Amino acid sequence: MAEFPLEISPMFEGERIRKNDMYVELAGPKSKGFELVRATDSDEIEDGKFTLIGPDISEMEEGSRYPFAMIYKIGGELVEPDLEAIVERRNHDFYNYMQGVMHLNQRYDIWVRLSKDAVNKGLNSFEQMAAAMMSLFKNELSFIEKIEAVYITDPEEIDKELENAMEIYKERDERTANLHDEDVDTFYGCTLCQSFAPSNVCVITPDRISLCGAINWFDGRAAAKVDPEGPQFPIEKGEVIDEVGGEYSGVNEAAKSLSGGEFDRIKLHSFFEYPHTSCGCFEVVGFYIPEVDGIGWVDRDFTGNAPNGLPFSTMAGQTGGGKQVVGFLGIGINYFRSPKFLQADGGWDRVVWMPSHLKEKVVDYIPEDVVNKIPTEQDVGDISELETYLKETEHPVIERWSEEEEETEAEEEQPEQPESAPSQYMTQMPASMPSAPSWTSSASSGGVKVTLKNAKVSIDRIIVKNKE
Amino acid sequence: MPTGNFVTRIIAVTGKGGTGKTAITAMLMRHLVKGDNLVLAVDADPDTNLPDALGCEIDHTLGEMREFMLNERDNFPPDSNKESVLESKVYEAINEMDGYDLLVMGRPEGPGCYCYVNNLLRGIMTRLVTNYDAVIIDTEAGLEHFSRKLIPEIDDLIVVTDGSKRGMQTGERISQLVGELETKVKNVYVVANKVTESNRELIEQNAKDLDLRLLGAVPVDKIIEERDLKGLPLFDLPDESVAIKEINKIANDLNL
Repeated sequence: MAEFPLEISPMFEGERIRKNDMYVELAGPKSKGFELVRATDSDEIEDGKFTLIGPDISEMEEGSRYPFAMIYKIGGELVEPDLEAIVERRNHDFYNYMQGVMHLNQRYDIWVRLSKDAVNKGLNSFEQMAAAMMSLFKNELSFIEKIEAVYITDPEEIDKELENAMEIYKERDERTANLHDEDVDTFYGCTLCQSFAPSNVCVITPDRISLCGAINWFDGRAAAKVDPEGPQFPIEKGEVIDEVGGEYSGVNEAAKSLSGGEFDRIKLHSFFEYPHTSCGCFEVVGFYIPEVDGIGWVDRDFTGNAPNGLPFSTMAGQTGGGKQVVGFLGIGINYFRSPKFLQADGGWDRVVWMPSHLKEKVVDYIPEDVVNKIPTEQDVGDISELETYLKETEHPVIERWSEEEEETEAEEEQPEQPESAPSQYMTQMPASMPSAPSWTSSASSGGVKVTLKNAKVSIDRIIVKNKE
Repeated sequence: MPTGNFVTRIIAVTGKGGTGKTAITAMLMRHLVKGDNLVLAVDADPDTNLPDALGCEIDHTLGEMREFMLNERDNFPPDSNKESVLESKVYEAINEMDGYDLLVMGRPEGPGCYCYVNNLLRGIMTRLVTNYDAVIIDTEAGLEHFSRKLIPEIDDLIVVTDGSKRGMQTGERISQLVGELETKVKNVYVVANKVTESNRELIEQNAKDLDLRLLGAVPVDKIIEERDLKGLPLFDLPDESVAIKEINKIANDLNL
């Protein structure tokens, strides 16, 4: 088997090969290519075999650029399709172990350069590289029992194979997107925002992206693996306390220690009860609209006022700082795409307003029965228009109103008293939330009994009636 | 050339607008490249004058790539390694010239959250600089990129001033600012630019009064004035240029 003529060591990771020092450029932003690992039946693999389709290094002119693809077939008792992505990722690492070889990016964005120095020292065939890679894969990933490599430098062949590869990537992404909170034991925390929001507790789960929208569960996992003491770190999920709300003992413990004891409960998929803290980096802020008992959302790019008369900046100011702010919640845009999106509060059935460009971004993830019932700035301008719109479209949130009304009627003994319309309900900022118990107080003097009931926000309504 | 083989010297050049810090940067670059050093030039001034002073056209900026990461992040495969993607984008933003690489920071941050992408960038930049003998950074006086720690430890911070007292006071302010930065700066120097025989003594006295280390005084140079008028680069100034002679002296004092 061909030997790689230079050194192979992790110390060469990060080695940059400049244009002037480069013998040949493979794939990259100005060409095409891909890397692919396939779990294959061991019987179909000839261990150590290398196939090259297209010209070899020795046939390439100095300073030229070629398309480039690498396909590895791996086999073994423990090899399964779910491992393909993990093994594929290592191709980047191992390629960079080779002195005189630079490898960047992944999948169909790979970019490889071979140095003049390496070619001068005897690197003249891809077989030398493939052989080194195959032995690295087998040495470092012991579950790989057999491996075979196919490299392609022929443009037409790459086009053909790239099409297949794209299908495989797509299937893989679908599988990945199907990973949910219940499928993992570990979530990840991030403290990047604690420099300005010291009590912020950012919990990143498969179903909940970071508030800034930048870090998903896989990013957390990758970062924590490299540096567990770094800004992203594992949080053991622990016991499930509330599956729907998304409350876990491990998250609560982490919340307590990360917030310096300020918070000890967090429900990941709840708006009203122990909501996630909000840093200041969030892409979107959700705001409770008491008049319609629904939640509106406004993002950084929306410069106008939301139906409650407030712009993003004002609400962001009230929400941020790493607190659990009841009535407001900061989130990353991708959380709208989560199947667990605020599932404790009715999810999309509770969403009553969002800016049109934001709605457009996530429209594919809004359930069909509600998608046309959520107005934007193009449909409504203020709360009363919002109310009318929701009624006209029969938005599911209005069921909540009728429940209240029925409740109200049942208890109305003397309806001649002044009664406020639903639109005047709860006009103050929510001091207590819908889950708060209703309470009754009686005034003994003056022969009047005052009943406060269903005090969701400030006071639901007041009935003044004769003393019995 | 394995990484880490170099002890990379990191120099930042800053100063009030109009003092000629970009000209000084270009001339220091000229010295370094002539001395067979592999240099990474970083234009960290939103004005982006360094490419002109070096006489090169740029294709991409780091700012563009950072925006790309922000705009595209929801479209990446869910398990893609974003550090690896960004690293590739940084490499794409590097303009590869004869004898040096040029990285232009370009547009400043927008209103979104850059915590994560900047955190990735820090790691990438730290690794990248080990590929060079020297990194020279042309940066605005506010030193914003340093407060974000995008660029690791600075060996020498050169504050360029003109002859004015005000220019010198900027120098004083910057050296105070350095103390507040999270980035470590080993040495702070002042280089006076556009110096004439009539103001030379006063400049030296001013530097002394403000307790600044005056590294050199670059004289007014007719060749530079002509080139500035014509918009020609300063990277290929002839050896007989009086400014170049002083820059070479300064560089030698700095052991460059």
